[in-house]
Amino acid sequence: MILLTMVARVADGLPLAASIQEDEQSGRDLQQYQSQAKQLCRKLNAQSPDRCTLEAGDMNFHYLIAQGVCYLSLCEASFPKKMAFAYLEDLHNEFYDQYGRRVPTVTRPYSFIEFDTYIQKMKKSYVDSRARRNLGSINTELQDVQRIMVANIEEVLQRGEALSALDTKASNLTSLSKKYRSDAKYLNTRSTYAKVAAVAVFFITLIIYVRFWWL
Amino acid sequence: MSTAGFNSQNGTGTGQTYANGPSQNPVALQQLPGVSYGMTHQPSYNPMPAKAPPPTGPGLYPSAPYQPVPPVSSYQPGPQITSYPSSPGQPLLPRPPLSGPPSHTPPQSASPSPGPRMPPAQATPPPPAVSSSSYYPSPQQPMAPAWQYNTAPPPMGPPTSISTPPRGPVANHVNPAASLAEPLPPSLAPYSTAPPPRVSQSVTQPPGPGMPPTSMLGYTQPGTAPPPMNPMVPNTYQPGRPAYGPPPTGPSPIGPPPIMKPTPPPTGTPVANTTPPPPKGDAGLAQPGPPGRHLGHYPSLPPGYQNASAPHGTSSMHPAMQAAMQPYTQAPQPYQQPPGGPGPAQLSPSLAAMSLQSSTPEALRVVNLLQERNLLPPTPVPAPTPCLPQDLQKINCNPEVFRCTLTSIPQTQSLLNKAKMPLGLLLHPFKDLSQLPVVTSSTIVRCRSCRTYINPFVSFLDQRRWKCNLCYRVNDVPEEFMYNPVSRSYGEPHKRPEVQNATIEFIAPSEYMLRPPQPAVYLFVLDVSHNAVETGYLNVFCQSLLDNINALPGDSRTKVGFITFDSTIHFYNLQEGLSQPQMLIVSDIEDIFLPTPDSLLVNLNECKELVQDLLKSLPTLFGKTMETQSALGSALQAAFKLLSPTGGRMSVFQTQLPNLGVGALQSREDPNQRASAKDIQHLSPATDFYKKLALDCSGQQVAVDLFLLSAQYCDLASLGCISRYSAGSVYYYPSYHHQHSPAQVERFQKDLKRYLTRKIGFEAVMRIRCTKGLSIHTFHGNFFVRSTDLLSLPNVNPDAGFAVQMSIEDNLDDMQVVSFQAALLYTSSKGERRIRVHTLCLPVVSSLSDIFSGADVQAMTGLLACMAVDRSVTASLSDARDAMTNAAIDSLTSYRQSVLTIQQPGLLAPACLRLFPLYILALLKQKAFRTGTSTRLDDRVFAMCQLKYQPLFYAMLMIHPALYRVDDLTDEGALNINERTIPQPRVLQLSVEKLSREGAFLMDTGTVMYLWIGRNCHPNFLTQVLGVPNYAAVPENLYLLPELDTAESQRTRAFVGWLRDQRPFYPSLHVIRDESQLKANFMQNMIEDRTASALSYYEFLLHLQQQISK
Repeated sequence: MILLTMVARVADGLPLAASIQEDEQSGRDLQQYQSQAKQLCRKLNAQSPDRCTLEAGDMNFHYLIAQGVCYLSLCEASFPKKMAFAYLEDLHNEFYDQYGRRVPTVTRPYSFIEFDTYIQKMKKSYVDSRARRNLGSINTELQDVQRIMVANIEEVLQRGEALSALDTKASNLTSLSKKYRSDAKYLNTRSTYAKVAAVAVFFITLIIYVRFWWL
Repeated sequence: MSTAGFNSQNGTGTGQTYANGPSQNPVALQQLPGVSYGMTHQPSYNPMPAKAPPPTGPGLYPSAPYQPVPPVSSYQPGPQITSYPSSPGQPLLPRPPLSGPPSHTPPQSASPSPGPRMPPAQATPPPPAVSSSSYYPSPQQPMAPAWQYNTAPPPMGPPTSISTPPRGPVANHVNPAASLAEPLPPSLAPYSTAPPPRVSQSVTQPPGPGMPPTSMLGYTQPGTAPPPMNPMVPNTYQPGRPAYGPPPTGPSPIGPPPIMKPTPPPTGTPVANTTPPPPKGDAGLAQPGPPGRHLGHYPSLPPGYQNASAPHGTSSMHPAMQAAMQPYTQAPQPYQQPPGGPGPAQLSPSLAAMSLQSSTPEALRVVNLLQERNLLPPTPVPAPTPCLPQDLQKINCNPEVFRCTLTSIPQTQSLLNKAKMPLGLLLHPFKDLSQLPVVTSSTIVRCRSCRTYINPFVSFLDQRRWKCNLCYRVNDVPEEFMYNPVSRSYGEPHKRPEVQNATIEFIAPSEYMLRPPQPAVYLFVLDVSHNAVETGYLNVFCQSLLDNINALPGDSRTKVGFITFDSTIHFYNLQEGLSQPQMLIVSDIEDIFLPTPDSLLVNLNECKELVQDLLKSLPTLFGKTMETQSALGSALQAAFKLLSPTGGRMSVFQTQLPNLGVGALQSREDPNQRASAKDIQHLSPATDFYKKLALDCSGQQVAVDLFLLSAQYCDLASLGCISRYSAGSVYYYPSYHHQHSPAQVERFQKDLKRYLTRKIGFEAVMRIRCTKGLSIHTFHGNFFVRSTDLLSLPNVNPDAGFAVQMSIEDNLDDMQVVSFQAALLYTSSKGERRIRVHTLCLPVVSSLSDIFSGADVQAMTGLLACMAVDRSVTASLSDARDAMTNAAIDSLTSYRQSVLTIQQPGLLAPACLRLFPLYILALLKQKAFRTGTSTRLDDRVFAMCQLKYQPLFYAMLMIHPALYRVDDLTDEGALNINERTIPQPRVLQLSVEKLSREGAFLMDTGTVMYLWIGRNCHPNFLTQVLGVPNYAAVPENLYLLPELDTAESQRTRAFVGWLRDQRPFYPSLHVIRDESQLKANFMQNMIEDRTASALSYYEFLLHLQQQISK
């Protein structure tokens, strides 16, 4: 069962098209997945693996990156992975045909929302168990899905966060050490001054003593 | 010298005119023999409950934050003006209680000017009236207070004398006609071409010789003198002529007041009489004459006035206008300048300048409502302009979109309480705009603390920082904002379109979307019970949808679906690939379910043929049905289930009371109570089923629009909730039938076309923000309030209006201006998320007089109507009526007590509020609030819905329809739009006295237009415009104007077409004759006239006056 489909531009995570979930049964928690999907799109970049499955509880996110566009779908964990990627592959072919050239130029979110119609149609054909068999035979030569990386959605989403946490910690450390350094310098100077002052006082006393009482 | 002239004039003009009116017309006298309409009468017409000193009626707008139910008692009248007891004879007071009368004279000066003013006249005796007259002008010009004072004192006849007015059977004020001998036709006379009638009239007049002067006055100024006031009347009254000799009576009273310098020697009355005749003859000719003369006579009058008056007399306007003008008193003239007459137009600036000189803005000019009869401007009332610096005003929001009841905001709540006027905003946020700047940018600049959108009224501290005008926080200007895409320049953030336009639209970035933008989804829920089939609406609906199916707003994702219902629910499977639509019947209405998960809502583009098939077969499908029950509740539940995954629009067509399953209703209307003057019951919903369902719908972004086509009672009060809380709209076609009511059919057809093709916004929210210190507390319109200032609007359409009430929480001491911002976030039918932002800026003032000068009377009326609707539902109708009356009383009392420095008798109002009592009266006579007239409950509830939901412009037409005379349209002053010439006739007062049997009159009530043909209508009009040979041949049911190739026909059609083009929905046109059934509807709109159960305008004013001077 494919619950959610999203097409986004990889460069800046701008959503280009999406299919509204039918949440009659699956309920409200789709909202949460939806925001995860949005976050994910923003996290992905050109360096990300171009096919990946992310586990999120009893759901899986599958994504495919091609030609600077990310195709993301949310399926139940039981949904065959092969199927899911065949579906994304199909979306990519159609989307690239229709809108591929205009992708880099758009600025408005969901500029190609009309692609939704096609997504829904595809979704229906993949979800329909009768059609599934046919598809299975068609897609026999589908690339080996076993090699596709599997990761946990939490990790992916938090990887960035961990990095940024590290980053902030490091920068904190830098600033702290800087502060330490300046403090130390300051203390040094102060103690130097104190020493000099003590010596000076001693000599002045000595001179005065010599001057008034010795003579 | 001057004084003398002055007096003489007065003498003739003053009370006498009035006196004449009554006395001359014997019939009238008999009718109301001695009756004076003064306060004493009050009890007799109680429709308006007197406002007891301890204000019984709760003020509509309590000063406190707002307490909807427990009415806060309106304020306590402050210091009462003891000096102005309305009671007639109280000579003791330094100022005589001339409540009404004094004003007469002025009018005279205006119209009659030429005649009476003749030098001889001057010499003639200045009867007592004079004094009054002199008095009168005073209010107009603040400059001559001292002078006024002196004059003022003459103890004129007690106000009670006013009695004259009511006499016309229909007309409230004295009809000019009344003065004429002829009882019925009188009204005609004034209309017929101006000059001649006068003469004739004078001749005919009974008083004739004895009273030449009076008659003159009567004619020349028939209307001028506000009918009622006859200072002298008490004495003179019955006796008839002798009385007239106002001089005799007059002088005596005058004498006493030592003050009256101006009131010259009480000359002999006879003289006056004699003199007048000559002038009369002249009157017609002389009118256009040079104003110069007058000047001489009236030293005290600022020249401007006289000038103004002169032009009016000119015959440049068509007769109707002229007739209309005559009655006016001078004062109103600046307003009434006919559009066509260049003269007056030019004068107006001078007038304005003059008033400025005297340091009173035009809006504050004092108007004595009792005397100035014709206050209605000849053109639609424009919105007042806030008193802002030129550069701010230039970019301020269009008043049609965003309007405040007070264009000058009081500094403190206590000041607002003192002014006794409602403070609120009226919005029309999604109005179709011809020009709207749209901005696409990745970051929308907003204040970081209050989230206000950047707008023209923020201040830039420097290039990099701007200060929010709502919360005063200083924000950074983002880098991107430094570049101006319009001029392609850098470093000029203040030139960006956001900062140059008060109304702007942003394309929202993805942060503004909780989910991908939804497609346009339209679901039609159709009643197919026997009753529905009888009305034949299905044909029209299906045909309209077929015609407009390609014009439905949307993109390739648009979805449609259909559900029909009687005692069962029928779904239609329109899946692609089917050869014909499949009907699926669900008879389990207790626990409704969807028979198939998809293909009930289908993509319109892909399944268009199936949809068209269905629409073609639908009307015949149920032709033989005998099912009479209606399970509307279950059908709505089913529809909700169908739409809830996506959201969208549900259009429900219902023709009878739902009587099966959930949400079944019983008839609550007792036909015998329709005309009851007692409180109206059943204005609130009978069940909360519809409200709950509507809230569910709102949560799922579903809006429900209800089309009610029913001859029977349908309990709109309950059904309407489904639309009200889901931000839908209600359309009501009472007694719809495809054969019996062709006009309804046409309107239904045109309305559907507009409904189906108009712009639509989905999953919308609107937030209204205002400057810190102000707070918004009550909203009016159709929506659900999700949080304190956030309105949830599942759908928003261009014909929806909103109103909010505001209060002032913190003092606005250190502010020059305050701002209001309404931001509407919606998804367009093309799947774009957009934000439309309107910003309004208004000045803050600290004095009451400034507040009054900035009052927007139409906006106030609109807001009061909304408040009154709430009040009638939560409390009672009579409560609401009281509250509206009190609103008028309170504001005028406050004005009188706090702003007027010079107390004068009469019902005084600032010029900007001069229409307020009229509008309040119109509201009281509106279908929604009237009592005593037979009104079906559904009609009443529907009117209430409309008052709350319609934008102000359309609501005002409902409240106060516009009346035009159309048999003599000319191209003079016409507009020229798209090479079509559109004549601009004058707006007439809603009084039968304005009708004439020789004419044809068009009344525009917003949704319906009536073209009333007078019995003696000029044959030219009948043949050239209506295409019939004579009056008798005018068909009984005529709903359109034939397209004849004549100039008259073209003009009339251009005018009607132009009126229609101004509004989104198509008003039907009814051509009616005297015998038509619809005549009653037409006459009901004659607001200024008296009906069996309601006061005339003049009586209403008296009532107000009485309450005010209490």
